Amino acid sequence: MSDTSWLSKFPQLERGDLIAIRKTLDGAYREFSRNYGDTIESLFDPLLTFLIWFEKLLIASPWWLTIGVILAIVYGASRSWKLCTGVFASLIAIGVLGMWDDTMRTLSIITVCTLLSIGIGIPTGILMSRSNRVQAIVTPILDVMQTMPAFVYLIPVVMLLGIGKIPGVIAVIIYAVPPVIRLTNLGIRLVNKETLEAATAFGATAKQRLFGIQLPLAMPTIMAGINQTIMMALAMVVVASMIGVKGLGQPVLKSITNQYFTLGLFNGLAIVALAIIFDRVSQTYAKRTQKHLGGMNND
Amino acid sequence: MTDLNKASTEENETLIEISGLYQVFGNKAKSVLPMVKAGKSKDEVLAETGHTVGLRDINLDVKRGEIFVIMGLSGSGKSTMIRHFNRLIDPTEGQIKVEGEDIMKLTDDELIQFRRHKMSMVFQHFGLMPHRTVIDNVAYGLAIQNVDKTERLASASQWLETVGLAGYGDQYPAQLSGGQQQRVGLARALCTNAEILLMDEAFSALDPLIRSEMQDQLIELQAKLKKTIIFITHDLDEALRIGDRIAILKDGILSQVGKPVDILLSPADDYVEAFVKDVNRARALSTQTLMQNVNNTLESQSVESAINSLNASQQEYGFVCNNEGYQGVVTRSQLEQAAANDSNADICCDELLIKVPSVSPTQSLQSAIPEALGHNFALPVTCKDGKLVGTIPRSEIAQVLES
Amino acid sequence: MHKQTFVAGAMVLLSSASFAADSCGEITIADMNWNSASLMANIDKYILEEGYGCEIELIPGDTMPTGASMIEKGEPDVAPEMWSNAMRDALQKGVDDKRLRFAGNSLSDGGEEGFWVPKYLVEMDSSLATIEGVLKNPQLFKHPEDDSLGALYSCPAGWNCQISTNNLYVALGMEEAGFDIIDPGSSAGLSGAIARAYERGQGWLGYYWAPTAVLGKYEMVKVDFGSGIDEEHFTTCLTQEDCLEPRPSMWPPAPVKTMTTEDFAKREPAAYDYFTKRSFTNNKMNVLLAWMEYNQADGEIAAEYFLKNNEEMWTTWVSADVASKIKASLN
Ligand SMILES: Nc1ncnc2c1ncn2[C@@H]1O[C@H](COP(=O)(O)OP(=O)(O)OP(=O)(O)O)[C@@H](O)[C@H]1O
Ligand SMILES: [Mg+2]
Repeated sequence: MSDTSWLSKFPQLERGDLIAIRKTLDGAYREFSRNYGDTIESLFDPLLTFLIWFEKLLIASPWWLTIGVILAIVYGASRSWKLCTGVFASLIAIGVLGMWDDTMRTLSIITVCTLLSIGIGIPTGILMSRSNRVQAIVTPILDVMQTMPAFVYLIPVVMLLGIGKIPGVIAVIIYAVPPVIRLTNLGIRLVNKETLEAATAFGATAKQRLFGIQLPLAMPTIMAGINQTIMMALAMVVVASMIGVKGLGQPVLKSITNQYFTLGLFNGLAIVALAIIFDRVSQTYAKRTQKHLGGMNND
Repeated sequence: MTDLNKASTEENETLIEISGLYQVFGNKAKSVLPMVKAGKSKDEVLAETGHTVGLRDINLDVKRGEIFVIMGLSGSGKSTMIRHFNRLIDPTEGQIKVEGEDIMKLTDDELIQFRRHKMSMVFQHFGLMPHRTVIDNVAYGLAIQNVDKTERLASASQWLETVGLAGYGDQYPAQLSGGQQQRVGLARALCTNAEILLMDEAFSALDPLIRSEMQDQLIELQAKLKKTIIFITHDLDEALRIGDRIAILKDGILSQVGKPVDILLSPADDYVEAFVKDVNRARALSTQTLMQNVNNTLESQSVESAINSLNASQQEYGFVCNNEGYQGVVTRSQLEQAAANDSNADICCDELLIKVPSVSPTQSLQSAIPEALGHNFALPVTCKDGKLVGTIPRSEIAQVLES
Repeated sequence: MHKQTFVAGAMVLLSSASFAADSCGEITIADMNWNSASLMANIDKYILEEGYGCEIELIPGDTMPTGASMIEKGEPDVAPEMWSNAMRDALQKGVDDKRLRFAGNSLSDGGEEGFWVPKYLVEMDSSLATIEGVLKNPQLFKHPEDDSLGALYSCPAGWNCQISTNNLYVALGMEEAGFDIIDPGSSAGLSGAIARAYERGQGWLGYYWAPTAVLGKYEMVKVDFGSGIDEEHFTTCLTQEDCLEPRPSMWPPAPVKTMTTEDFAKREPAAYDYFTKRSFTNNKMNVLLAWMEYNQADGEIAAEYFLKNNEEMWTTWVSADVASKIKASLN
């Protein structure tokens, strides 16, 4: 064949073939969602019920009670009056500026997402740390999860599970869970080898090593991962609101389309305030519980 | 050397036996093994296959009750070797038997039980758990055996006291000095009451003063506990000081196994020779390493029976011991003179005894030499309670000093 | 900008001097991020390049940013499908200030807005094509979070239609009938919700608009409010946030226009003339969108398909002379 056009132009698939591939895959997905959508959806029913209940709880409770409970948690975790004062001031400001309900909605979904991320992330991280093969498989998946634009998977998820909290939670978790997985894995792998060997040498079982040595020693790193996970979950609030998750994200979206700058700024700041509260509390908690480590960690 | 009165039967009982042990590090260790067996050197194997030869055809046995020292330069495979005893590393090929049982055949559960009850280990860098208090560290071995809390803490604080750290129980390891941390490591290993103690360069990280203090403590403890200790060091002085037998490793090959004297006086090859060349032997050897069993002990008895004993053992003199321990030396000629007077007289009377000074088993030969001057007898060795545990023949002393 | 105008003007002068009057310069066209607009942009590009000898650059766009940029910066030159209600006041001001021109209607029927239900529901029960039928059957339109309610999917947050939807929800008494409004968050969320319901043959009720790829692909029926169109009430009340006594009214057809800058209209009169004529009926556009959707075709491919198969249509937009040039290039 004397046709050398492939030299100058990339020899891509025929347009028809490409379209055929796309159509087949799309069709397969539609077929899948048609056949299994309801089943999969029903798997998430308990979670949905819980989400709705938790959100209602936060919104329906009197505001002073909610603030009280939040402050109690903050103090319990951090033992810092200064931090409590800061949290109190931001919550009051949020309420006065009319963002209380939306903030409670966001708080409820972020709390659930964080707990789920921890529940999924730590075991996955543990598995990864125990086997190089699992690590080799999971790492690229995490890369994809963190870099894939959210809408690429959002709409398929919406087709499967409908609009609202569940796809929102899934989208947030997909984006937010990688740090906790990565840092759990890293933390466990960084545990001093001799310390672990000592445990083995004294006849510790795998479980005793994990819960007695690896997890406690990896805890500072894991806490850093959890912290990052919370931050990333909050960053996803706006994206999640694009598939109908109520909360601070919706006013932000509204302000984007209508150029209501102040509205956007207020709600954006409320998200930031939540982020800072979560961040400071989890960090002081981590610091407080890891005090004894001193400088011994890396000898 | 635990058993200062080594009964000859126990002395020969083999506790651990290693035969044909190979360790090759790398992904395809098994396939590299033939090459190693064919005699390719460590460097050649590394260059050709990327695999590291850790150990090559190791055969040795450790007797019950001895301190068995493994020594060699950095990278010679000492740590690799000791980690085989409790299977922190599995051999590429070879057999490890403890009390005649092949530990390679243990199931996972059996292995865990084996580690809990048979062996414990002290680590080069302590390997303490920074998130547990000192007392919890010491009690760790018992904790994972699910021993009741009050019981294990009681036991742990007792061991802490033994190693001289009473009162430090509630501190965290980071709050202790290196020497103190290593004592915690030692207490932790002792706390499980395992028969075999593995010590991987346990004292290497310590400064010389604390180190010799720890060595003394170990020797003292060993006298009481009579464990079997496998002790790793890269320091010949240390090896000579505490070892009953010493194995010398070079590039994963066993160069020589023997008593400290054998190593010092007849090195098997150039490598060992280079090792021992600069050693001040009189200072390096403790009296116990030269010490031999006494077969001419005399108890509180009559002159006549003492002469008979000497005749039976064909000795010219004997060491007299009574309930209070070693008393002195009596010679045949003196005994015969005394017999002329009163053959039923007790040999313990002061006129007969020559007060030959005794030395302690842990002191260096050098420090014992003054005691050997002024008489022609073998040097008696006694432990703290005054009991005679052995003697050092003059010929031995001469040999150490001359070569 | 002034400098650019000057250069462009100079070029027009130059070219008209040396060539015939039909010569054409560089034109930027907004390639909006939905199928019908992208199809139009690509058709315009082909016709202007092959028929008029213009140089066309397509610039990605969206209603708000493109509209704002055309008013403020005079760029791009053309927005081929502008739903002008979305920013009616701003655009009208642009026209009044002589910055913009509405060249023509890109969709001659205007955009169609309303509450829609899937066709298979209506086939099951024809009363569901009317609001009375819908109001009687909230259980058919499952609420994702509360089984006791029916769901009305509204227009995404922040869009103008959100206000009219909310007002109609009140006017039609939907709350009393057991319906709740659901904010889908974005148009992608809204279309995803339709697709999900349709693929599973479930009930769905909500705001949507045509012609769109979604309605091209999924056959939906517009719910009749039985009120006809009260344009006056619609514009003065239903579209206002402070509408106190909303009454039902169907959406009046939404103007969908081809918009150009004033500068472009003056600079390229021949091309501007083309834009005044280029227009689609909703039926035609729906067919084209369905074809695009079915073949997963992008605007460029669809433009070629359209030009090859719909000669009778586009030849009316251009002179015979230009048409023959285009025909020649198509073969
Ligand atoms: N996990 C491993 N993977 C690969 N090679 C190893 C591994 N562990 C040890 N080695 C190699 O085995 C050899 C012996 O190492 P080992 O740690 O036993 O030396 P050592 O005698 O304890 O030295 P040191 O006195 O420095 O502690 C070294 O060449 C080392 O590189
Ligand atoms: Mg070592």
